[in-house]
Formats: sequence, structure tokens, C-alpha cells
Amino acid sequence: MNKEKISSQEIIDLVSSKSSVSKRVAEEFLKVMISSIEEALLAGEVVKIKNFGTFKLLWNEPRKSVNVQTGDDILLSGYHKVSFTPDTILRDLVNEPFAHLLPVELDSENPEPIQEKTDVALDPLRIFTDQAAEIKDLLSEIQALSSAGDSKILKEESEPVLPVESTVVAEDVYKLIQEESVVEHIQEEQVAVQIPNEVTEPVQTQNEAEPIQESPVEFVYEEKQQKSIVTEIDKQQPVDSVVSIYEERQFNDENKSGQSVNSIPELDSTEFLKDIKPIRKHRVWLMIVIIIALLAGLCGGLYLFCPPVTDFTNSSIEKVGKITDNVVASVANLFHTKPKQTPPVARTIIVPKDTTANDSVDDEVAAAEKESVDSLQVMFDNPRVYTKFIGSEIVKPGNRLTIMSKKYYGNKDFWVYIYEANKENIPNPDRISEGTVIRIPKLDSRLIDVTNPRCIKKAKELHDVYVKNKVN
Amino acid sequence: MNHKELIASMAAKLNAPKSIVADLLETTVTTCTELLVEEKTIGFQSFGNFEVRKKEERLSVHPSTQVRTLIPPKLVVNFKQSNVLKDKLKDLSHNE
Repeated sequence: MNKEKISSQEIIDLVSSKSSVSKRVAEEFLKVMISSIEEALLAGEVVKIKNFGTFKLLWNEPRKSVNVQTGDDILLSGYHKVSFTPDTILRDLVNEPFAHLLPVELDSENPEPIQEKTDVALDPLRIFTDQAAEIKDLLSEIQALSSAGDSKILKEESEPVLPVESTVVAEDVYKLIQEESVVEHIQEEQVAVQIPNEVTEPVQTQNEAEPIQESPVEFVYEEKQQKSIVTEIDKQQPVDSVVSIYEERQFNDENKSGQSVNSIPELDSTEFLKDIKPIRKHRVWLMIVIIIALLAGLCGGLYLFCPPVTDFTNSSIEKVGKITDNVVASVANLFHTKPKQTPPVARTIIVPKDTTANDSVDDEVAAAEKESVDSLQVMFDNPRVYTKFIGSEIVKPGNRLTIMSKKYYGNKDFWVYIYEANKENIPNPDRISEGTVIRIPKLDSRLIDVTNPRCIKKAKELHDVYVKNKVN
Repeated sequence: MNHKELIASMAAKLNAPKSIVADLLETTVTTCTELLVEEKTIGFQSFGNFEVRKKEERLSVHPSTQVRTLIPPKLVVNFKQSNVLKDKLKDLSHNE
């Protein structure tokens, strides 16, 4: 800091040179000025000098003190003091090196994260209840489709098998969900197309297959679909490979016999009725379906818990539902792309549920984007290219990017754009080295609209980014 | 006493037109401002010193809301009267 003292003589010299008057005149003038101020002050007046400040007399009250050496109480007499209050112009000019600093509220930032935490604590409970409801729905659906007699056995069997299945890796779990969704769709399809057929056995409720008079093309397609499912099962569950072999055999038999094909692979043909294995297989299949449902619930739970905290602070119960829909839909889509031989007919039947789920999600995203994306947002998002410059400045001691920003753009927050344009010359935006030539970029007037709070907000965001970068 | 009155009284003492006095005063003010911006101390003989002081940053607590605010550092102009002026002021009686 330069603390050298300028004497009256130097002031006189400067004034005389500036206003081209002789030193004698300047000296006279200064003396008169000081004496005038003094006189006015002694008369008890307030002296105000334009653009400089105000002189005022203040009375300091007499006060008691203690003589440090003797310990006696002494009374300091009151006295007058000349106080000087600088004019706003002078004050701002002097304080310019620190003008960019603003008071920071320290406590205001703390309460927010605490609130977030409480939200997080509440949300899992909701999610759990949602999941429980979903699983219940799935189970009831499956039970409704399967025979009443089987359902009891399934319940008994599903429990012991569950631990074995739970060891299945995450990938398998996803595949299982795919499988499950497909099975569901086929079931729906079946219900939609269903024409009451003679039920050969009371146990085989799902044997309500398509009638024989259905078009052969569709028939073949469906069979292929089944096969694809079967092959998938082979990959996923080596344990069930034996079962799938049975299934394949079963299909072959069905092909030969030309009987109606059941859309669900676990269905038994009349030829296997006497055999015990198909029934067992049937049970196994239903068991798998239930396990899948449970695993799907688990998956949903995992998916919901894994995303960052911010994701579900905002999410309400509805959103949770949408997320699960989304998962199911996306997984189902994955599956649809896999088997190319999936029939157009079947697809049209399967698609409605998925597309509605997808569309609703897509629409939401689109709507959200429409709200936020406008011309200004586009401008914010696009990387700024600086080609035109409206000026340049050589860094002097005490100069800062914020001061330049204030000078050229009218607001100190827009310094980030100057920094962006001069990144290669400025290693640290907080400490620009002396003598550096800073080019001031020409910016779109909408981008540096001082009256638009969004512009300032964006600039502050960028500020945070750069300052954090520097810290890291 | 405002700016105009000061100029008037000075013009009367100097026997000079007000316009010249006003110009000179303005020049003096701008000179002083420039020097103060450079953080230099200006000493007027028998009157006092103008000095730039740095106020360090500090924490202030709002008395009623308890919101703690970090006040940034700033530079302020400070005037300290000279002993000559102080002695003159001693003679002034305090009426209040």
C-alpha cells in the first residue's frame, strides 16, 4: 500500500499546474479555503463541498477514566471534533478495489440441506408402500390368470425356491423382467383375442388358446415368439434348461399334431396330460412368474434407491409410479427389439400399453423442456464463441475482471464472459497478472441484459463453475 | 454552509469572481480525490489529514433475526483534525 503523505505544498503545485494559475494564487486560494471552512465550523455550521464531502462538528461528551499510574479517577473534558463524511462519489471511487464484494449471508445456506434430509427420510416409506402395492397387484393378476387350484400350490412352492433365485445376478434380473413383461403381454393378448374354446382340462386354465381356425401365419409367429422366450430362458436360467427342453419337445409335438398353439409356453398339450412332468413344469413356470414379480419389485426398489438424493426429493408418489412404468416400458422395449421375428400382429397388441407408458413419459419430458427451453436458454446452453471484440485493456494493479465487466457491460457479474474469452491468458480468474492484455468480447445484448434476472443468474452459475474449478 | 455559500465567502475574501473560485475549488477537489484513490494521505497544514483506511471484513449478526452476514472489507476516507484545529475548537463553548 502506498501510504506516502502529500503535503499542502504538493497540493498547491498540483492545483496550480492543473488550472494553469500561478502557485501564489493557488496557495492563497487554499489558505482561504481552509480558513473559510474553519470559520464556518467554528460558527457551528456544517460545511458541504460538492463531490467531496461534508465537514461537521461533533461534540464528544466528557467521560470518566482512570489514571493508569495512580489508579485515581479522572474526568476527561469534552471536546469538539471535526468529522468528515465523504460524498458518495468520493466514497465509491476510493472503495473501487473492493466494490465487487458483496455481503454474504452465512446461515441462509444451512437450513436447506437439513430440509432435504427430512424429505429423504420420508420418501422411502412411501416408496415401500408403493412397491408393496405393485407387487400385490402383480400377484393377484397372476393368480387370477392361473387356475385356482394351482395358486395354493404355487404359494407353497414359491417360498422355498426364492432364496435360490435371489442369487441371480442383476443382469439376469433385468432379463427376467423383460420376460415377465412379455408373458404379461401375451396373457393380455390372449384375453383380448380369446374365443372360448373347449377346455380340455380344468387344471389348464391358460389352455384357453386361440381357436384352430385362426390364421396359420399368426400361429407360426406366435410359436416363434414362444421359442424366443424359451431360448432366453435357456440363457438366463440354466436350472430350468431341462424344463425348456421339455417345452421344445412339446412344441415339436404340437407342430406335428397341428393342434392349436398356446400362447404361453408352459401350457400342456393333451398328449402330455397323462405325464406328470408337464404339470410339474406348469407349476415351475407359475412359480417363476411369481418370483419374477417379486424380483421386479426388488429391482424397482433398487432402481429407486440408487439415483441421487436430488432425484427423489422432487418426486411425488405419482412420479415414483411413472419411474417404474418407465423401467418396465424401457425393458420391454429392449426385449421387443431382440426377436426380429416378433409378429406385427402380436406387436400391435403388445404395443399399446408400452406406448402409452412411453408417450406419457416422453410427453412429460417434452413439456418440461418446452417450459425451460426458449431462445435465452438456447443462448445459455450453446458454447459462446468470441470473435468480435469491443476493446482491450491492459491489467493494472488493482484492476479486476469484475471492474472491467462493470465498465463495459454495466454489471460486474458478467465478468465470466470476459474470462471465457481470455481463458488462455488467465490461469486464475481471481488473480490476473499485471500487464496482461484482456480483450473485451462483444456480447449479445440479450445475454448481458442487466434488467433480466435470468442473465445475472446464469452469469452467477458460471461464476460458481469457474471458481470451483479453480479451487479443485 | 453549502457549496455555493462556501464559494461566495471565499470569493469575497479573495476579491475574485465566483466562477474562478468555483473552478479552483473543483480542481482542488478532483486533485484530492485522485490522490485519495491512489490511497495517499493528504495533509493540510493546520487543518488535518485525509487518509484512506481499510476496514477489514467482519461478521455481523442481525440482532433480531440472528442471520450472520459476512461484511466484505472496504476502503474509507478518514479525516483527522490537526492539533492546531483541535486547540481552536477547545475555545468553543458547548451549549447543549
